[in-house]
Amino acid sequence: MRQPSVISRRVAAATVTLVLAAGAAACGPGDSKGGDSGSGAEGTPQKGGTLTVLNRNTQQDFDPARLYTSGGGNIPSLVFRTLTTRNREDGADGAQVVPDLATDLGKPNKDATVWTYTLKEGLKYEDGTAITSADIKYGIERSFAPELSGGAPYLRDWLIGGADYQGPYKDKKGLDSIEVPDDRTIVFRLNKPEGEFPFLATQTQTTPVPKAKDTGTKYEEHPVSSGPYKVVTNENDGERLVLERNPHWSAKTDEERKAYPDRIDVRSGLDAAVINQRLSASQGPDAAAVTTDTNLGPAELAKVSSDKKLAARVGTGHFGYTNYIAFNPKVKPFDNPKVRQAISYAVDRSSVINAAGGSSLAEPATTFLPERDSFGHAPYDHFPAGKTGDAAKAKELLKEAGYDKGLTVTLTHSNAKDFETSPEIATALQAALKKAGITVKLQGLEDNDYSDTIHDAKKEPGFFLAHWGADWPSGGPFLAPIFDGRQIVENGANYNTGFLNDPEVNKEIDEINKLTDLKAAAARWGALDKKIGEKALTVPLFHPVYKRLYGQDVKNIVISDWTGVLDVSQVAVK
Amino acid sequence: MSEALLVQEAGAAPAVAPASGARLFRRRLRAQRAAFAAALVVLLLVLVALAAPLLTAVAGQDPNTYHPDLVDSAAGGVPIGPFGGISADHWLGVEPQTGRDLFARIVYGARVSLGVALFATVLQITLGLVIGLTAALGSRWVDQLLSRITDINVALPIMVIALALLAIVPETFPRPVLIALVIGGINWAGTSKIVRAQALTLKSLDFVSAARLSGRGKWSIARRELLPSLAAPVITYAALAFPTNIIVEAALSFLGVGIKPPTPSWGQMLTEADTWYQAAPTYLLLPAGLLFVTVLALTVLGEGVRTALDPRAASRLRVGTKRTRAGTKQTRVGTKRTKEDAA
Repeated sequence: MRQPSVISRRVAAATVTLVLAAGAAACGPGDSKGGDSGSGAEGTPQKGGTLTVLNRNTQQDFDPARLYTSGGGNIPSLVFRTLTTRNREDGADGAQVVPDLATDLGKPNKDATVWTYTLKEGLKYEDGTAITSADIKYGIERSFAPELSGGAPYLRDWLIGGADYQGPYKDKKGLDSIEVPDDRTIVFRLNKPEGEFPFLATQTQTTPVPKAKDTGTKYEEHPVSSGPYKVVTNENDGERLVLERNPHWSAKTDEERKAYPDRIDVRSGLDAAVINQRLSASQGPDAAAVTTDTNLGPAELAKVSSDKKLAARVGTGHFGYTNYIAFNPKVKPFDNPKVRQAISYAVDRSSVINAAGGSSLAEPATTFLPERDSFGHAPYDHFPAGKTGDAAKAKELLKEAGYDKGLTVTLTHSNAKDFETSPEIATALQAALKKAGITVKLQGLEDNDYSDTIHDAKKEPGFFLAHWGADWPSGGPFLAPIFDGRQIVENGANYNTGFLNDPEVNKEIDEINKLTDLKAAAARWGALDKKIGEKALTVPLFHPVYKRLYGQDVKNIVISDWTGVLDVSQVAVK
Repeated sequence: MSEALLVQEAGAAPAVAPASGARLFRRRLRAQRAAFAAALVVLLLVLVALAAPLLTAVAGQDPNTYHPDLVDSAAGGVPIGPFGGISADHWLGVEPQTGRDLFARIVYGARVSLGVALFATVLQITLGLVIGLTAALGSRWVDQLLSRITDINVALPIMVIALALLAIVPETFPRPVLIALVIGGINWAGTSKIVRAQALTLKSLDFVSAARLSGRGKWSIARRELLPSLAAPVITYAALAFPTNIIVEAALSFLGVGIKPPTPSWGQMLTEADTWYQAAPTYLLLPAGLLFVTVLALTVLGEGVRTALDPRAASRLRVGTKRTRAGTKQTRVGTKRTKEDAA
């Protein structure tokens, strides 16, 4: 059972992950083969120049222990190398995990409870000293310190003794389940089989931190770089971050990061409209600018679509993310599967997608897993609603359920202007369900109140809008938190909102976690998703599509299915 | 908010209503062409709001029906066709992303915008009258207490209080009523100050003393002697507060604590439209333009009411008198004096 404090971090997971992932990639049509095919400036990418990053969110807590990233993040990945990392390729290839500091993805024992990594030779920090496996162990141990919280809960959940460990400042002895037999070897001992450990090893917590240079909570001001860039300026907790080349980084040991620009200037705290306006104008330094966290909104897309030159400077990508309706079967009438099925039939995905920004910004979803191979997506549509909903079928089911005179329900949503769980989506559903004789009352909650309410087992409403993003592109972190019965949390943040506790599902999750063949695991996750879908505990609505502008001098756009956004480590400005 | 200005302007109106009453008032109002035109505009808007179901039925539309086929989904949901999708069916075009009929939403929005502002104005005037009169007629202790409460109320930042109140009240409470209650309930201090001041002046006048000496009770005096004389400043104040309340409602809806979707209000439409100013300008211009016209008309009308009720300004209007050209000069002097008084 997870500890409440551990779980509560996951609340932020979906959002934070998104933000940081978004920071990683930025341009180029997602399905294009060539990296720079969508770029305004053609030609071979050259070294040199300054890349400007215009962002809304600051790079706060720029400490590898505190960052919550998917695949090591976008900007963090320029400074922090990790044991493994994401493949910096366009599309589906980019959803693969590849070695970074390690020579391979790790050698598991027979039941995937022990993972051994060997470091590459010649790895150096920004001061020229050698990176050792002990530094990686120390880096992970730091992330257990309460004052350096913020990272994902997996290490704490998976490592033997992790649940009680308080970090190296309080417990000098360290964590026994991480062993360093020599300077280049590190061994992890887990409390249960975890075939997806290589995915977890992409997170910044596996970044080496030299113990002698550790300044605790102040380390974020100048973390010691293991990547191609080092921090030269960090103002106002990451509001402005200037990175320059790390002379001791060698491309020979790093196949993933291209590091074309000499300097990277990250400016945050900007308004989304300002960022998009500056990128579309592309004047002065903004010509060599990208954003790692700001998508085009519906109105901005409408303007960009009408301008061919501008449209050529839009990168499109897919991040593993699903927006859905969630039911609480403990609340009447949603305890009745027929009612849940009726609503599944009645939804009008076209108007929901229009409310989310239209077909360019959202794709209809009938499966809980995102439609990407890495998730093992298995297509299914158990309650076919067509494009605009099947009101007749819904009415039929309601009649069978005893609601032939119609039904009145309350739909809970947030008041955030995010086109995800916001009033626009709720009203679109309200209009669609009306056709099936279901009167929907809307209950809009302020954003924080909303996430507290839907993740509180005692307060959870019966019918609400929800979303989920992947910590890494696999079925595991997508299905387990939502459908594993052992992850139901009565006191604390609960993500199993359908309170599903099906021994068969739980067993299958355990079985898949034992697999170290990620392809085989993916297929099993897809099949499991299809099976869970029959229970109609959720109604998948749409998967978002990311569209982002970049400046006219920006080249070598790589957008992977892992992050869905342009990868700053690949971008060139000359 | 020009609270102080409103108080001042309303205060400039006389305590004693013109003797000739309603008919003279109407004639004076009609004599001001701008005010007359404004009155017609306001009347038209009120009729449109009242007849919203009828008008939308004539247009064959509904404010909440989605038309996904009328927007270009691939381009972010921008309406298909010129000027935001204007067509024979959709007279003012459709809303981006949803395809809902803008004409239907505008006329239904008028109901909310005007209705909320009207209810809020009535509430704030009623509260102001009761509190102001109680302070003027009550004991010194009551007067002190109510006056200090009024002072505190004047100092309260209305938007901040309204934001807080609207955020904590449960969703189940009918939203338009709640907004009217909030706006009216925290905005009465201006009226109560004027009423108290005028009532204190009136109290010392002979006709009130006569009534008191004849043994009439306090509330009888208030109703029979004071209220008729307070009508002029209070009506003036109400006429000027009404457009302000429309703006407050729009602002609250714009900030996301006002009217909840799918109910349309002009302020709420403005919120939705703010990012669309380049891609679908009509969507923004319609509610913005209507708000502008409504508030302008009501303000001009309010100013007209004030002028018509002001005997000093009335001479300028030359209603019911047979002044010659020479009289015009006198009017100018009169106007000037009014301004000095106000200052």
